[in-house]
Amino acid sequence: MLELIDASRHYDVAGRAVRALDGVRELFPAGSITAVVGRSGCGKTTLLRLLAGLTEPSSGEVRRAPSHSVGVVFQEARLMPWLDVAANVAFPLKGRLSDADMAAHVDEALALVSLTEVRRALPVQLSGGMAQRVAIARALAQQPDILLLDEPFSALDAFTRRSLQRVLIDIWRARRPTVVLVTHDVEEAVLLGESVVEMEAGHVVGRVTIDLPFPREATDPAVVDHRRSILARLVGGTDPVTQAIHSGRK
Amino acid sequence: MPARRFLASTAVFASVAMIWWLAGRAGWTNAYLLPAPSAVIAALSDLAASGALLKHTLISLQRVLLGFALSVALALPLAVLLSASRLARSVLDPLLEFIRQIPPLALIPLLILWLGIGEAQKLGIIVLASFFPVFLGFRGGIAGVDPKLIEVGHVAGLTRREILTRIILPSALPELVVGLRISLGYSWRALVGAELIASSAGLGYMIIDAENLARTDIVLAGILVIGAIGLLSDVVLRFTIGRAFPWLSADLEAAHA
Ligand SMILES: Nc1ncnc2c1ncn2[C@@H]1O[C@H](COP(=O)(O)OP(=O)(O)OP(=O)(O)O)[C@@H](O)[C@H]1O
Ligand SMILES: [Mg+2]
Repeated sequence: MLELIDASRHYDVAGRAVRALDGVRELFPAGSITAVVGRSGCGKTTLLRLLAGLTEPSSGEVRRAPSHSVGVVFQEARLMPWLDVAANVAFPLKGRLSDADMAAHVDEALALVSLTEVRRALPVQLSGGMAQRVAIARALAQQPDILLLDEPFSALDAFTRRSLQRVLIDIWRARRPTVVLVTHDVEEAVLLGESVVEMEAGHVVGRVTIDLPFPREATDPAVVDHRRSILARLVGGTDPVTQAIHSGRK
Repeated sequence: MPARRFLASTAVFASVAMIWWLAGRAGWTNAYLLPAPSAVIAALSDLAASGALLKHTLISLQRVLLGFALSVALALPLAVLLSASRLARSVLDPLLEFIRQIPPLALIPLLILWLGIGEAQKLGIIVLASFFPVFLGFRGGIAGVDPKLIEVGHVAGLTRREILTRIILPSALPELVVGLRISLGYSWRALVGAELIASSAGLGYMIIDAENLARTDIVLAGILVIGAIGLLSDVVLRFTIGRAFPWLSADLEAAHA
């Protein structure tokens, strides 16, 4: 069970009330994978933070089974600079698993993000994309019941991104965690989401079910169609520049 | 690169010794006010041969290490307490700030009255001189912890205690190390000061005793030993810390510069 019930989160920014999230009612069924899309500043990270329990709603309610473990991939890598790659991945597991189990989880997660070779490196020695992959491995190694990802592939090149998108789908199909993936990339949302939640200015403005089998291909006409219609709705004729770019890409 | 730097700093030391020697040779300085390097070396080897140098050095070292350890043992828990508790902060901060303003040497007369001229008074001086750098460094380090890293701990379900030991303390370490280095230096200087004023052994005593006997060569020998030991202990401290926490070495370089 993972659910927002009329959840709002307001911030006070220099005396002005910012409604980062405004009355969102949304259910994320157990074992589902949902993509959340929307423009920068529309409240995606805020929604994820509410789901993770890192922020309390100003009003409304967040429901999450207390027994469910949560793994989060933050928008930034957030690695402990004093720990090497393997120790960073092991960080949430320490004291909760035996050393042997922990090592197995860490090895598996590092292999999934192709970072086995740099397991002894310190975070300062990593590129931005590598650090982001370590953060992904840290969440995967936890094998959480709920996996929340905030633009986890944004710092990656197109090839690495494709392969990690596949890794995520494989893991989801094998272990069936409840996944909420925030992304600004509509194509990625259509490739990975059973459904896509569309956000605008703190509101959920739409939820589309993408009824296509995994793994999906970006070139599949059905994927292209979904992407086009979601973009059209999000752009909504409000922003001439984005619209011009969008129509240019068709 | 380290070898080169070592050579360069050795060369600087050698040049200073050279100028010192030349100044004596050329008659620019009075041999009583500034004995020649050779005279100082002779005094050093005499002191070493008689065992006096070792005795005084060991006594001073022992005092410094004990006082420094005491300071650290006091400062660390107090810094954690004051960082964690607003109440403790509002009660203790003004007092600590008051004490911090007082030069430790100004308290020597009182300490002598209260604790005599024995070991307790020496330790008191060292603690007063070395407490604040560790304490403030550690508090600064704790205050500077990235709250985003703490969130990582919250998500992982860490307890308050685990967040302290696994996130806050390691990330406060670089500033703590800077505090430790400053403290060790302060301890050493304060001790020599205390030994100059009231003592019957130790390097400070050796110097003041030599002054009374008009033995400037011994005074200089003592000064050289004090500087050398201070330098050496900083090197040892940095080496130990660099070994234990390799990710800190960049910060140490910055602190040293
Ligand atoms: N801690 C905070 N204090 C004040 N305002 C905040 C805070 N966090 C978010 N906001 C505001 O809430 C709104 C939504 O922010 P949020 O981070 O959820 O957007 P986002 O959709 O994740 O954007 P992006 O795609 O750029 O990451 C923004 O207007 C932001 O300024
Ligand atoms: Mg965001």
